This record gives sequence, structure tokens and C-alpha cells, in this order.
Amino acid sequence: MLQVISGSGRAAAAPLLAQMHRDRKTVFVDRLGWRVPVVGDQEIDQFDGGDAVYLVATDEAGAHAGSLRLLPTEGPHLLADVFPHLCERGVPRGPDIWEITRLFTTPEHPDPRSVRRQLVLGMVEFAVLHGIHRYTCLTHVPYLSSVLAVGWDCEPLGLPQDDGGVLLGAVVIDVTPETLLMMRARRGVTGSVLLRPETLDAA
Amino acid sequence: MSAFGDVDDFVKSAKGLSRMDELASLLADAVETLGFDYVALMHHVTTPERARWAVQVIDYPDAWRALIRQRGYLAEDPVLTHCQSSAAAFLWSELPSRFAMSRRQQEILQSAMACGLAEGFTVPLNIPGEFIGSCSFGLAPGREAPRRALPAAQYVGCFAFEAARRIQRTDALLDAEHGAAGHRLTPRQFDCVVLVAQGKSDWDIAQLLGLAADTVHEHIEAAKRRYGVATRTQLVVRTLFDSQITFADIIR
Repeated sequence: MLQVISGSGRAAAAPLLAQMHRDRKTVFVDRLGWRVPVVGDQEIDQFDGGDAVYLVATDEAGAHAGSLRLLPTEGPHLLADVFPHLCERGVPRGPDIWEITRLFTTPEHPDPRSVRRQLVLGMVEFAVLHGIHRYTCLTHVPYLSSVLAVGWDCEPLGLPQDDGGVLLGAVVIDVTPETLLMMRARRGVTGSVLLRPETLDAA
Repeated sequence: MSAFGDVDDFVKSAKGLSRMDELASLLADAVETLGFDYVALMHHVTTPERARWAVQVIDYPDAWRALIRQRGYLAEDPVLTHCQSSAAAFLWSELPSRFAMSRRQQEILQSAMACGLAEGFTVPLNIPGEFIGSCSFGLAPGREAPRRALPAAQYVGCFAFEAARRIQRTDALLDAEHGAAGHRLTPRQFDCVVLVAQGKSDWDIAQLLGLAADTVHEHIEAAKRRYGVATRTQLVVRTLFDSQITFADIIR
């Protein structure tokens, strides 16, 4: 199951979030070499503010197993503030459009693919529950075929451009209740993968 | 029309297609617009059993296609083997500087050139749990690679592959429904075998599919009879080998 952590709920989840930020540093900074801000041993950027919602997978012991960050596109977010040039026809923004960033699994997790699948299913469920109709996200082109293989309705927002030797592009994903049903059927999942899915803690 | 406009049109058109020949023709038009002459969109499979479910949309010179079959080049083709170690797209002319090719591999590239396939740009398409795939854009001798179109070509390759996977998957299910050749599964048998492969019990499967456990048991027994096997493990192995179910169905 995935925890939905947001707003005032962040205080209670502080140790788990700290672990997430440490794992983010290990993966994105130490291994992938991304040039993103680091605070101590944690990767924390300007978008990890009050508006961010985290979906966090944990292992049996309650440790961080993988996570992703969701941001409303009406406020500051990565695509609009850092990579707007990747959108040929403007950055899609609106109350029903959110951005997915920092989707990853903990280093050395024994089954990263199942954690990833749960995170992807969780964010589609989150969208259906909270009236989100589209997600925007950035993807390096070598990962694009895996993103598309989820089977959802995905379109490019512009041509990919060089980002430190790899092509990076922006895409938009349409999410409907049918998307959720299709994904659940393919994975043989019948119920919610989110803990306390109906509530979001206010900032 | 901008390069992105072309890609966007391709993506939107490909989405609505339900037949592989329509996709092949849409792809051929896109290839020409990008500035290439040939294209091969494929899963890297080398045996006929596997080829039945694999994506294979190949528009290469006839002489080269004949030679691939006669000499069994696919397994050693340096372009295809390089896709196993490279996530990034590459020009064929870069290959000699990327790894030490065997004599046979050099011979393969020379034969391709002799058949009218002089240069190419290949986009590796690796989806965890599936056979490796790729989309290669080929050029006739004397034609220069359209360097400015390479980012657009990568997108065309990725989106074409996904459209082809979707169509292939639907075709495979329809074949099963019509009980075409061999040990085909019915759609319900297919559902049940995939869940068996995921380790589910009759009771689990019954809950997931909204059937009675007895009905599930009967579907699985019927599938076992079709294959003439005694155990569920044998059934999973045989249906996987037959590509009646794929790793992509199980591991999702």
C-alpha cells in the first residue's frame, strides 16, 4: 500500500520523508549525476514545498521503498519553471492538471518493478479520486517506451532536447476512470492501493 | 508544418489505428517526411514460435530481407545486438567506434550496404520483461542522415512501437477467440492462465474475475486438456513458449 503524504500530514511522516530525500540523493545525484540541489545528505529542491503531495511505498518494516511527487500545475512546478522550452505549444496548466516528478525506487530494492507498478497505479487512482484529468511529466527518451507501455493515453508536448547528453522530453498523460480499470485488470488488482485515499491534509 | 507538428500528427493518427498494415503505411509516410528511405520496427525474436506475437513491421530492400532469412543474420546483426547494451539511439556508422565488431558482423553491415541499405539510425526500445525491440530508420547509398530530424525520429519510433504492441496484443486475443491455429486459448482461459502464472489460486482468480471457483477450475482444466499437460506449471510454460501469454501479461 502507498501512503499519501501532504500538507500538515508531513510532520507525522517526517522520518519517512527524510529517508525518501536521502534515497533521492543516492539515486538522482550520486548515481544518475543530476545537477539538483542537495541539503546535507538529502536531495530537496524548490518544489518540495507545501503544495507537494507524495505517494510513498514502504516495505514490511515501514522503510521507504519508492515514491513520487505530485504538484498542482497552477503553482510553481518543474516543467513550467525549469523546462518550459520542452512544450512547443505552452505548458499545460489548470486545476485538473498535475505534474509527476521524482518517481523512483529505493536503491537495492529486491523487487523494484512491483514497487514501480504500485506507484503508477497509485497515481492514477489518486487522479480519479481528486478530479485530476491530466498529468504532465518529463522523461528521458530511453525510458519513454516503458512509460508508453503502461497502456495509458500519452502524447508528446514538444520534441525532446539535449539534457546533459541524453534527450529529455515532456509528455502529457490523460487519466480517466477507464484508465484505472484497465490498469487494475491488467495487474489483477481489485481494490485501492492508497492508504486513506479519500483525504488530503491541508497545508 | 513544424517537425513537432509532424510527430504530433503521427502520434494522434497512430492511436486510432486497429490494423498493422495501416500502421505500416502511416509509419512509411512518417519515415519519408523525416528524411529516411526505409524502416524496421521490431521485437528482436529469431524463432517462428516467438515471431507469432512479436511486432515485425519491416520495410527494407527486398534483397536485404531475403538475405536476412537465408543467412540467419538476425541473431548476430551488430545493430540489433548493440541495442542490448545501449539505451541511447545511435547511427550505424558510429558502431565501429563503439565496440569491436566480429568479422561476421562487419560482413553483415557490408552485405546490407550491397543490398542498398548504407546507413541507418536505430532507436532501442527496451521494456522490462519483454524481448528487446528497436525501430531502425534506413538510408539508401549516397543519402545523408538527416541529423536535425533525429529527435523527432526517436519519438516516431517510440510511439509507433507502442501502437504496434497494442494492435499485436488485440490481434492475439482475437485469434484466440476465433480458435485459429494450434493450441489457442479462449479469452477466459487466457485470463485464468495469466493469473495462474502470477501465483493465484482458484479462489483468488474467482474473486478477481468475478467467477465461481469451480468455473475457474474448469477453464484451467480445459486449457490443460488443449495442451495435453498434467500440471499448472507445464501449462504456464507451454502457453508462454507458444506466446499465448507473454511475460508482459504476467509481470505488470
